[in-house]
Amino acid sequence: MSTRTDRFAPGDRVRTRSLDPDGHTRLPRYARGAVGVVVEPAGVHPLADDRARGRTGNPQTVYHVRFPAAELFGAGDHSVTVELWEDYLTPVEEDP
Amino acid sequence: MSGNHSSSVISARVRHVEALLEQRGLLEGGEIDRRIDEFAAGGTPANGARVVARAWIDPGFAERLLTDANAALPELGLSMSGGLQEQRLKVVANSAEEHNVVVCTLCSCYPIALLGPSPGWYKSEAYRSRVVRDPRGVLAEFGVELPAATRISVWDASAESRYMVLPRRPEGTGSLSEEELAGLVTRKGLIGTALV
Amino acid sequence: MSRINDVGGMAGFPPIAEEPDEPRFHADWEAHVFALNSALIRRGIYNLDEFRDAQERLPVQEYLAASYYERWFAAITTLLREKGIATAEELAGTDEHAH
Repeated sequence: MSTRTDRFAPGDRVRTRSLDPDGHTRLPRYARGAVGVVVEPAGVHPLADDRARGRTGNPQTVYHVRFPAAELFGAGDHSVTVELWEDYLTPVEEDP
Repeated sequence: MSGNHSSSVISARVRHVEALLEQRGLLEGGEIDRRIDEFAAGGTPANGARVVARAWIDPGFAERLLTDANAALPELGLSMSGGLQEQRLKVVANSAEEHNVVVCTLCSCYPIALLGPSPGWYKSEAYRSRVVRDPRGVLAEFGVELPAATRISVWDASAESRYMVLPRRPEGTGSLSEEELAGLVTRKGLIGTALV
Repeated sequence: MSRINDVGGMAGFPPIAEEPDEPRFHADWEAHVFALNSALIRRGIYNLDEFRDAQERLPVQEYLAASYYERWFAAITTLLREKGIATAEELAGTDEHAH
């Protein structure tokens, strides 16, 4: 019985957290502080960062987020899709 | 890799820890052997090959597979529930325009319940570090040369989903049976480091 | 505090090496470590994220020198110690009652 509150929808632009946490996380270093596009929600799970610290963690939505390689590495014509917890993401406002 | 001597040392250490945990009631006698047998009887790349062959001959199944793989797998008597808990499987289809390749950069996540253990190279830092940054170069090392116009999509299994690639059906296979088609599919094809 | 497991995009690792006809496990003890970890997680001694975390906390040089299942075993014994299941001496078999 999760209180699912999908904060993001497919097509939304999101920015990943840039800070470097003290301890376990599932936001890869190469994908920090980057802007990508939500592909789809992919289930509801407790945040791994919490579980690794022995805490239960509130369930939250996990998303597939697609990044152009150039956004991550400054070069490359491929894309990388990373699965990320909602806590890792903030909305990117569209230009007016 | 460890030599025989260090292998026998760690082997003895593992047995010692098992015995200690049995003494403390945290393992049942024979539990480890039973779990090893269960695991050996579980996932295998042949399961993935069966899924791919069915998707090639049955467009309806392919659509259901790409929409919700966990719901489609039972049609072949398969599931993603053999491990610690049922995991979501996301199947991504190759096409003339797009080629998919799967990695876990943070550890070694892989659809073990369906496909069995991943190959050693999949777990290696060499693969995990480079395929997100230079997939075309990595694929070339595996002998996969794609047209420049083919987009490459890398999937990093960083959370709870596990991924499997649905390769393109090779040309000239129209007369093959479902079983023969399954025989064409390799474990590397299911990861995306081979075309089939 | 980026950790040594977080290698996506890093340079400097060796070429990718494929092993022909690779077995599921390279030694019997590897299968035992795999099953042991599964048994301990199912029993609730620790969870999968704590297990990943314990591998990531290994000293970097030890981590890089270890094989895949050697890392697993190091993480298992770390967690058994931290959870108070057994002491380091008991786990290593160097306590007075061992053997």
